[in-house]
Amino acid sequence: MLEILREYYSDILLGVGYTMLVAVIGTLAGLLIGILIGVYRTIPNPKNKVALVFKKAGDYLLSAYVEVFRGTPMMVQAMVIFWGFALLNDGKTLDVTVSGLVIVSVNTGAYMAEIVRGGIISIDKGQFEGAHALGLTHAQTMFNVVLPQAMRNILPSVSNEFVINIKDTSVLNVIGFTELFFVAKDIVTQTYKTFQTYLLVAMVYFVLTFGISMILRLVERKMDGGKNYKILGSQNPDAETFAREVKHD
Amino acid sequence: MTENSTPYLQNGAVTATNADEPLVRVEHLGKSFGDHIVLKDIDFSVRQGDVTCIIGPSGSGKSTLLRCINLFEQPTSGRILFHGENVTAARKANLLRRRVGMVFQSFNLFNNLNVLHNCTLGPRKVLKLKRAEAEALALKYLRVVGMDAFVNAKPRQLSGGQKQRVAIARALCMNPEVLLFDEPTSALDPEMVGEVLATMKTLAEQGLTMLVVTHEMGFARDVANHVVFMDGGVIVEEGSPEQMFTSPRQERTKAFLSRS
Ligand SMILES: Nc1ncnc2c1ncn2[C@@H]1O[C@H](COP(=O)(O)OP(=O)(O)O)[C@@H](O)[C@H]1O
Ligand SMILES: [Mg+2]
Repeated sequence: MLEILREYYSDILLGVGYTMLVAVIGTLAGLLIGILIGVYRTIPNPKNKVALVFKKAGDYLLSAYVEVFRGTPMMVQAMVIFWGFALLNDGKTLDVTVSGLVIVSVNTGAYMAEIVRGGIISIDKGQFEGAHALGLTHAQTMFNVVLPQAMRNILPSVSNEFVINIKDTSVLNVIGFTELFFVAKDIVTQTYKTFQTYLLVAMVYFVLTFGISMILRLVERKMDGGKNYKILGSQNPDAETFAREVKHD
Repeated sequence: MTENSTPYLQNGAVTATNADEPLVRVEHLGKSFGDHIVLKDIDFSVRQGDVTCIIGPSGSGKSTLLRCINLFEQPTSGRILFHGENVTAARKANLLRRRVGMVFQSFNLFNNLNVLHNCTLGPRKVLKLKRAEAEALALKYLRVVGMDAFVNAKPRQLSGGQKQRVAIARALCMNPEVLLFDEPTSALDPEMVGEVLATMKTLAEQGLTMLVVTHEMGFARDVANHVVFMDGGVIVEEGSPEQMFTSPRQERTKAFLSRS
């Protein structure tokens, strides 16, 4: 195994690089798609009849997108999109890396849309009312009050999608994308050391996913901030720091 | 404390406000949820500087009435007049709400923002104040409620009474012409009720127009200048605190007051 690593480390690193590129960009772009859809789908129904029809039509289209991409394997989606593009462009295929990025983003977006929507509707309606009572519009409420809280709450699910994406980019080998799994297959054809190669690659995948999980958990803890706050201008001239039990109501 | 009489629908244009015109007038207001009739033909007014307490048993429609006044609920019939102007159409809701504040039983502070930013959000986003102006305003009202030392705290780090005082400051930052309170002390531990009521009393003395749904009869008696008793979706009786608490005319009022 060590010889494989020694001999092919540059190919493996390249595979890791491509895998992480697609996983990172795919997850972020997917999250962005998810936020846009999640926000759209939680807009209250407009009173205006025409606006209502458009809103409903949009809702149906978006839920069709979500259901189709969640309901089919990403490997099949990759083939359909890659070869579909070629068919529509006289056999000229889309760049493999670009294809990979698009496929993972669009696929992740479908999952993220539901995650974000769930995050938004789980926010207490008192948060909306508190903002509306000040005269804030739905959009102002969403972006200043609700989304920040929803994003914090869905962070574990987003991390989960990221980890899934690191592993699932392996299906992109079907369109010839040189991610980690593709590199492994390549090494096997040259060395015939099937078991050792895949065991090594399994370990590399694990280090990636475990490392990312740890980092994201750290981010979560950072976002929660401290349990302490400063009381300003108290009698004690060195403004004291107060710790309190976190109280939920 | 209140800055009066800028007409709220005609942006900035000056309209003569009849001095006799109440700030808020509710006319023949009805509200049902499906076939459940909650409010029936409610008529009453709030004048500038009034402190009106609405009392009555649970389920009598007090919250619904308050929520109709800031258009959280769309009335099924009747009208809401603000400075004599009909505001019942829902698309004017956020214009109305910047001048009619609300304080909730459950505080509804923004959990993602600290005390200072809870208070500056409305002034910045709705009144379009600069950050420094909004913060000065927030500090001014946080001082009024005695919470200026806690500007950096998040809501989850505060006690119920402190949260409610911040919620009051947040509402005051919009400089509302009338402040609606829906059972502001009902979610509080008994030892915190006093600090919130004291804050509200201070505001009343400074001339803030207030409409308060409450079960605190002591507050209604001492601070209000007008008391409304509701039961079963109608106003059974209204009058001065002295009249209501010492010689109520209606049997239902007597029965309710003897129980509470
Ligand atoms: N959104 C709603 N949908 C259906 N029924 C409601 C709704 N809000 C209030 N009600 C009903 O209206 C009645 C009056 O409620 P409410 O105004 O909260 O009374 P109060 O504040 O006096 O306790 C209750 O029977 C309640 O169940
Ligand atoms: Mg109520």
